[in-house]
Amino acid sequence: MGSAERGTPPGDEVFAGDGGVGRDLAAVPWESTPLGTPESWPQSLRTAVDILLSSRFPMWMAWGPELTFFCNAAYRRDTLGDKYPWALGRPASEVWAEIWGDIGPRIETVLSTGEATWDEALLLFLERSGYTEESYHTFSYSPLRNDDGSPIGMLCVVSEETDRVIGERRMATLRDLGSDPSSIRTEQQMLAAAGAQLAHNLRDLPFTLTYLFDGSNARLAASTGIARGHPAAPAVLVAGDSPVWPLAAATRGEAVLVELDASFAGLPAGDWDEPPTQALLVPLLRQGAAPYGFLVAALNRYRALDSGYRGFIELTAGHLAAGVASARSYEAQQRRAEELSELDRAKTTFFSNISHEFRTPLTLIMGPLEDLRARSGEADPRVREELDVIHRNGLRLGKLVNALLDFSRIEAGRMQARYEPVDLAEATAELASVFRSAVERAGLSFEVDCPPLSQPVYLDRGMWEKVILNLLSNALKFTFTGSVRVAVQSLAGQAVVTVTDTGIGVPRSEMPRLFERFHRIENARSRSNEGSGIGLALVKELVEMHGGTITADSTDGLGTAFVIRLPFGSAHLPADALSPAGSMAAVSATADPYVQEAMRWLPAGADDPQAQQAADDARAGHNPADVLVADDNADMRDYLTRLLRSAGHRVVAVADGQDALDAARARNPDLVVSDVMMPRLDGLQLVAALRGDPRTASTPVLLLSARAGQEASIEGLEAGADDYLVKPFSSAELLARVRANVELARLRNHHTRWRTALIDSLQEAFFVCDADGAVIEINSTFADVLGYGPEGLPYAPVHPWWPDRDADPEGFRQVEDSFATLLEDTRGTYTIPVNHSDGHRLWVAAAFNQVMDPDTGRHVIVGTFRDVTAEHYAVQRESALAAVSVLLSQADSLTGALRSVLPVLKDLWRATDACAVVFDGSPTPVVTATGQDQTWTTLPEVRREAVTAVREQPLLVPVADRMAGAGIALEHPDGTMVLWVDLAEQRPFTEQDQTLLALLAGHIGQGLHRVHQIDQQRETALALQRAILGPAQLPAGFAVRYSPATRPLKVGGDWYDTVTLPDGRIGIVVGDCVGHGLEAATVMGQLRSACRALLLQNIDPAQTLTALDRFAAQLPGAMCATVFCGILDPATGELKYSSAGHPPAVVTHSDGNADLLDQGRSRPLGVRASAERPEALYTVPARATLLLYTDGLVERRRQPLTAGIDRAAAAVQDGRAAPLEDLATDLMDTMAPAGGYDDDVALLLYRQPGPLELEFAAEATRLAPVRTALRGWLERCGVDTITAQNVLVAAGEACANAIEHGHRHARAGRILLQAAATADDLHLTITDSGDWKTPQPAANPHRGRGLTLMRALMSEVTITTGAAGTIVGLQARISR
Amino acid sequence: MSTDLTFTTGRHPDGAVVLAARGEIDMSNAAAFAAALNDAHEQDRAGTLVVDLTAVEYLDSAGLSALFPHVDHVRLIVTPLLAPVLTVVGLSDLTTVAG
Repeated sequence: MGSAERGTPPGDEVFAGDGGVGRDLAAVPWESTPLGTPESWPQSLRTAVDILLSSRFPMWMAWGPELTFFCNAAYRRDTLGDKYPWALGRPASEVWAEIWGDIGPRIETVLSTGEATWDEALLLFLERSGYTEESYHTFSYSPLRNDDGSPIGMLCVVSEETDRVIGERRMATLRDLGSDPSSIRTEQQMLAAAGAQLAHNLRDLPFTLTYLFDGSNARLAASTGIARGHPAAPAVLVAGDSPVWPLAAATRGEAVLVELDASFAGLPAGDWDEPPTQALLVPLLRQGAAPYGFLVAALNRYRALDSGYRGFIELTAGHLAAGVASARSYEAQQRRAEELSELDRAKTTFFSNISHEFRTPLTLIMGPLEDLRARSGEADPRVREELDVIHRNGLRLGKLVNALLDFSRIEAGRMQARYEPVDLAEATAELASVFRSAVERAGLSFEVDCPPLSQPVYLDRGMWEKVILNLLSNALKFTFTGSVRVAVQSLAGQAVVTVTDTGIGVPRSEMPRLFERFHRIENARSRSNEGSGIGLALVKELVEMHGGTITADSTDGLGTAFVIRLPFGSAHLPADALSPAGSMAAVSATADPYVQEAMRWLPAGADDPQAQQAADDARAGHNPADVLVADDNADMRDYLTRLLRSAGHRVVAVADGQDALDAARARNPDLVVSDVMMPRLDGLQLVAALRGDPRTASTPVLLLSARAGQEASIEGLEAGADDYLVKPFSSAELLARVRANVELARLRNHHTRWRTALIDSLQEAFFVCDADGAVIEINSTFADVLGYGPEGLPYAPVHPWWPDRDADPEGFRQVEDSFATLLEDTRGTYTIPVNHSDGHRLWVAAAFNQVMDPDTGRHVIVGTFRDVTAEHYAVQRESALAAVSVLLSQADSLTGALRSVLPVLKDLWRATDACAVVFDGSPTPVVTATGQDQTWTTLPEVRREAVTAVREQPLLVPVADRMAGAGIALEHPDGTMVLWVDLAEQRPFTEQDQTLLALLAGHIGQGLHRVHQIDQQRETALALQRAILGPAQLPAGFAVRYSPATRPLKVGGDWYDTVTLPDGRIGIVVGDCVGHGLEAATVMGQLRSACRALLLQNIDPAQTLTALDRFAAQLPGAMCATVFCGILDPATGELKYSSAGHPPAVVTHSDGNADLLDQGRSRPLGVRASAERPEALYTVPARATLLLYTDGLVERRRQPLTAGIDRAAAAVQDGRAAPLEDLATDLMDTMAPAGGYDDDVALLLYRQPGPLELEFAAEATRLAPVRTALRGWLERCGVDTITAQNVLVAAGEACANAIEHGHRHARAGRILLQAAATADDLHLTITDSGDWKTPQPAANPHRGRGLTLMRALMSEVTITTGAAGTIVGLQARISR
Repeated sequence: MSTDLTFTTGRHPDGAVVLAARGEIDMSNAAAFAAALNDAHEQDRAGTLVVDLTAVEYLDSAGLSALFPHVDHVRLIVTPLLAPVLTVVGLSDLTTVAG
C-alpha cells in the first residue's frame, strides 16, 4: 500500500528502507550508471542498500567499477550538506573530489586487500555548507562483497566528531590560559604568557593582536601568529586617523566583525594554507569603566562564526582583561611602595634641612658662651659651674646635629670627602691619646698599639676622627672594669684597626642589628643612658666611604672588638676626591664634644656631684654602700651627705619621709639614715612602711633623733629600726654605726641581693603576687614591658594595666578570667591583652606557680611573662588570612564567597555585624550581611552614610569611624564593594586592625575575582563537555542525563550512548573512564566512538566489549574503564547485555519489584584482554523501567555501593508512574548529595515499550492501519483486552473527530497520535490542525455519542482547542 | 480504501433474519453497515433482526449510528470486547453477550 501511494515505480522496493533518501535514490537515472537499473542489481547490492537505508547511523557506500555513491538520511544530515541529492549515483571520486587525495588510497586498500580501515578523528575539508569547512570524522571503511564473495565496493560508517575535536581544542586553550598565573606580575609578562598559549592554537586563532588603550589611541601590546611591523599590526592606532582596526567601536565596548578584504594583503595563515578572511574584534572589558583595550582575533576561515566560536573568543578576551586587571593592580601596589620610599627620602631631606637650621642658633649660642666662660675666671663659682653645664650640653647638641647632618649627606650622596695619604698609625694614636685621660679616670687600662705601617692610607681626616672617637666613646661607655685597646697593623694587604674593650659585650641576638640606625640595645648596663643610636651606624657608613669594612665580634659579658679593614692606596676612591698629603694637623675641635661627654660619665672635679660620687667610690675602698639620707633640715642633710661621702658611700638625700619611702622602693639602698621628726611621714612611720613592704622589709634603718632617753629609743626600735642615734653625735660614731649596719645587713641580705640580681637579669618579666592578687614584687623587665615600675608597688587588683572595663569589655573579661585562674590554680599559663602605662596595647604570655613564702608561711604567686604582641598579631593575621583563603577557595559563587568570609570578619573584631555592599550600578546597592536578611533599605541611615563615605575613598584604604565601625573599599567583579564591620561601642580600631583589614580586603578582592573566573570557566567547560557528548538523538522511550562533579567542577569520564542498529534493535551503552578532566574526556570521546562503530559491526554486546578491550589496550587512559553494553529489542523488551566491571543496571517492574541485571559480568576494559566475555539475556517486562548509571550516582563515602543502588531503585520505584523525562530529573535531584555530586554522573532510563508516535493523513481510510499499530503497542504494554479495546475506541473517536474537521477545512490535514505508558497509566494525545467546534448533537448526533464514549471509557479526557489545532488528551488507568 | 468488513445474511432457527458482520466498523465503512442493516430489515420488516457482531473486532460511534434507527426491532449478539461500548450508549438490554 505504502509504495503504491507514493507513486514509486514497481521494482524500486529496494529503496523502501527510507522514505526520504529512498525516493531520491529511486529518481536517479540508474540506467546511465555502470550499475544499471535496480531490477538488474545483484542480491548483495540490494541487501547492502537496504542495510544502508534502514540505519539511523551515518553511512555511505560505493559500489561497482566507478564506486557509485549511495548514502542514508543520517549521512545526508550530518555530512553531505548541500551536495544532496546531486551526489546520489555519482562516482565517489566526483562526490568527494576535494578529499579524494585522503580517502581514495584508503578505499583502494579496502578493495584490494578486503580488510577494513579505521581512522580516528581525521581532518577533512568538506564543501557542504557553501564554504570549505574544517571537519573531523572517525570512520571505518569495510569491504562489500559481490554475490560471488569478491570485493566490489565499500561501506563507510562515519561518526562526525567535528564538535568534539574543536571543543577539546578550545577547551585546552582556555585551560592553559588559566593555568599558573601566580608567578606573573607585570602586564607585559601576563600578555607574553597568554600569547604563548594562544600561539599554540593557530587553528582557531590564526593570528591575534592585543591592543591597549592609551588615551583615545591604542598601542599594540601583544600579538601571536603575526610579525610585529606587519601592515595589519601597526604599533599604534591613532583615533580619527581611519585606523586599520575600528578603534571607535572598540572604545565603546562593542565587538565588531571585520572583513579582511584586499586592503589586508599578505596576512599570515596560522595553521592553514590560506589566510583568514574575517577577524573578530572583542573589547577587553573592565568593570564599570571603559575597556582596557581590545583583542583582534583572526578567524578560522574553515569554520563559521557560530555562538560557540564567538563565546570562545570572548572568554579568551575575558582572560586577557582579567590578567590586565590583576597586573595593573599589582603595578599600582608597586607604585605605592615606591611612593613610600620617596616619602622616606623626603624625610631624610627634612632632617638635613632641620639640622642646618639647628646649627645656626647653636653657633650663636656657643660663640658668646665661649666668650663668657673666658671672661668668668674670677666670677662666682656657681655662675661658672652653670656656664659649664650650658657649654657641655651645647657641645652635646652640636655633636648630635652634626651626626644627623652627616647621615643626611651620606643618604643624599652629598658627603664631600677629601682623601689624603695619611700615616694611619700616627693619626689613630693621636686620636686615641685624646681619650687617654678619660679612660684612665674611669679606672680602666688603656692600651694603644700603633706601630708605623709601611705605606700610607688615604683618609678623610674629619671622617676618620668621627670613626675612632665614636668607637672609643662607645667602648668607654660600656666598659666598667678591665681595659680598652686600640691597635693598628697591616694584615693581608690591608690596614687593620682594632678597638677592643672588656665591657658588657653585645648579646648574640643583637649582633645583626648592631650597625642599624637608631637601634639601641635595650637594658644594656652603661655609664650613661644618653645616646641617639646613630653612632655605630654612622661609623659604618664612614668606613664604607673609605672603601673599608667594619665588623664586630662580641661575647656577652666579656667584651667587644670592632675591626676596621681599609685598603691601601687610592685605586678604590674617586679620583676627583683625592688631595695631596696635608700637614699633620692636630686633632681638630671635633674631638672636644666626645671627650667632654665621656668625662661627664666619669668621676671628675669635686664640684661635679657625679664626679664627686666617683671620687667617693675610690676612697671607700672595699666597702662603699648606697645610703639614703632623709632629713628635713638642709644643713643636716648636707652635713650627713658630706660625711658619708667622705667615707666613700654613695648618698642620695631627700627632705621628708614620703620621699624617702619612694626613693627606698625605687633604689633599694643598703641603708636608710632618717631623722625621726619630719613632715608628711615621720621617721617611725617610715620605718613601719618600709617594714611593711617585702622589698624593703630587710633594709636596715638608722634613726637619728634629738629626743634623748630610753623610751624614745625603745619606741624606735620597736617600730623596727635597726639602730638609734641621738643627736648630737660624733661623725666617727655615725660612720661606725653606718658601717656596722651595712655590713650586718649585707651578711643578712647577701642571699636577697643575689636573688634580686638574678631576677633583674631575667629576660622575662617577673612578678610576685600575694594571695589577694596584689603585685608586691617585680623586676626591671616588668617595668620595661608594662611601663609600671617598682615605685608604684604594691599594685592591687584591678591592676592599672588591665584593659578598660568600658572601652574594651572583651579584653577586660579575658584578663579577669585569667586572673581568676591565677588565684585559684596552683600553676598555669595564659595569654592576655594589657595596656602599657603610656596607653598602647600589648599582648603578654604569662606562666605562674603558687609557692609558699618560707619566711611568712603565706601563699604567694610567682609568675613570669613576656611580650608576645608581635606574635599575637602575626598569628591573628595569619590565621584570619588562612581561614579566608580556605573559605574563598571553597566558595562556588560570589555570594557564597561573601557569605562565608563575612562571619570571619565579624568574629575577628567581635563585631555586632559585618556586611558587604556592592555598588553594581543598580539603583540600590546589593547587601550581603551576617545578620538577618539585610537590604540597602533596611540598613540604618548612619550605616548607609558611612558605607557611602567609604566608597568614595581610594581602594584598599581602611577607614575607621570611632562611633560606627570600620570599612574598606575594594573591587568586586560587579563594581566597587565596601566591607563594613560594626564595632561594639568605643572598641578601638588600632593600626594593627587597619593593616589586617587591608590585608584581608586585598585577599577577598582577589578571591572574588578568582571565584568569578572559575564560575565562567565552569559554564564553558560544561558547554564543551555537552558538545563532546553530542546532541542526544535518542530513540523513543529513552531519557538521559549528564552532570559534572560539583566541587571542584570536574567533567570527564562518564558517558551514555544509544545506537539504533540496522535491524531496528537499539544498542545501549553507559561507561565510565578512569580519571577526570580533559584527558578523561578525550578518552571517553574515543571509547564512545569506537563502541558505536563496534556495535554497528558486531550486534552482540560481549563481542563488542571484547573488541573494545583490544581498542582500550592501545589507548592510554582507557584501561580499566567500566562499560555496560546492551542490545535491546524494543518490540519484545529482550535485552542482551554484557558488563565490563560496571555497576548493575536496575529494572523496576510496574508493580514496584526490582531486578538487578548482575549477570554477564566480567572485568573492566583492557584487563586480560584475551579472555572471553560472558553475556546474559533479560526480558524487560511491559511498563518496567530500566535504569543504567555510572557510580557517581550511587557511590557515597562510608556507604556500601549496594546501599546506593537500593536508594536509586527505590527512587525509580517512587517515580515509576511519572513520565520518563520527569523521572530522570527527579532521580538526579533525589540522589544528589547535599553539596552536589562529587563525581560526574551519566544516567540512562528506558521504559518498555517506548512511546508510540503515528502521523497520518486525516482520512477515514487511515483509521484501520492506525488501529492496528495502536493495538500492537497496547499489547506490548501488557494491557488486558478490555482496556485495550476501550483505548482503541476512545482513540478512534478522537481520530474520527479530527478527520471530520480535516474534511471541513478544504484539504485533508495531518493527525498526530502519541501514546506513552507509565507503570499505572496510559497517556494518549491526538493532535490535529483543525478546530473542534462544540459538538451539536442535533446536526450530527453520533459525534456527540463519540464524546460520551470517550468520557465513559477513559479515566480522564481533556480537549484543548487553540489557533493551531485541537489536542485531545486521553488517560486510561491500567488495572494490575 | 475502506476498512475490511464483510456481511453474511441467513436465517435463525427461530426464523428471524440474521445479519452476521465480520471485520471492523468505523466511519469509513459505517455507511456499508447501515445499508446491510436496511437490506436485512427489508427481508422481514415485521420480524426481529438478529445482528451477529461476534466476529466484529471494533465498533465505534459511527457503527452505533447505523444501529440506532433499528433499535425497536434488533437483537445484538456480541463478544465481551464490544459489551462496554453498547452498555455506555444504553443498548445493553438489546444485547446478548456470547462467549
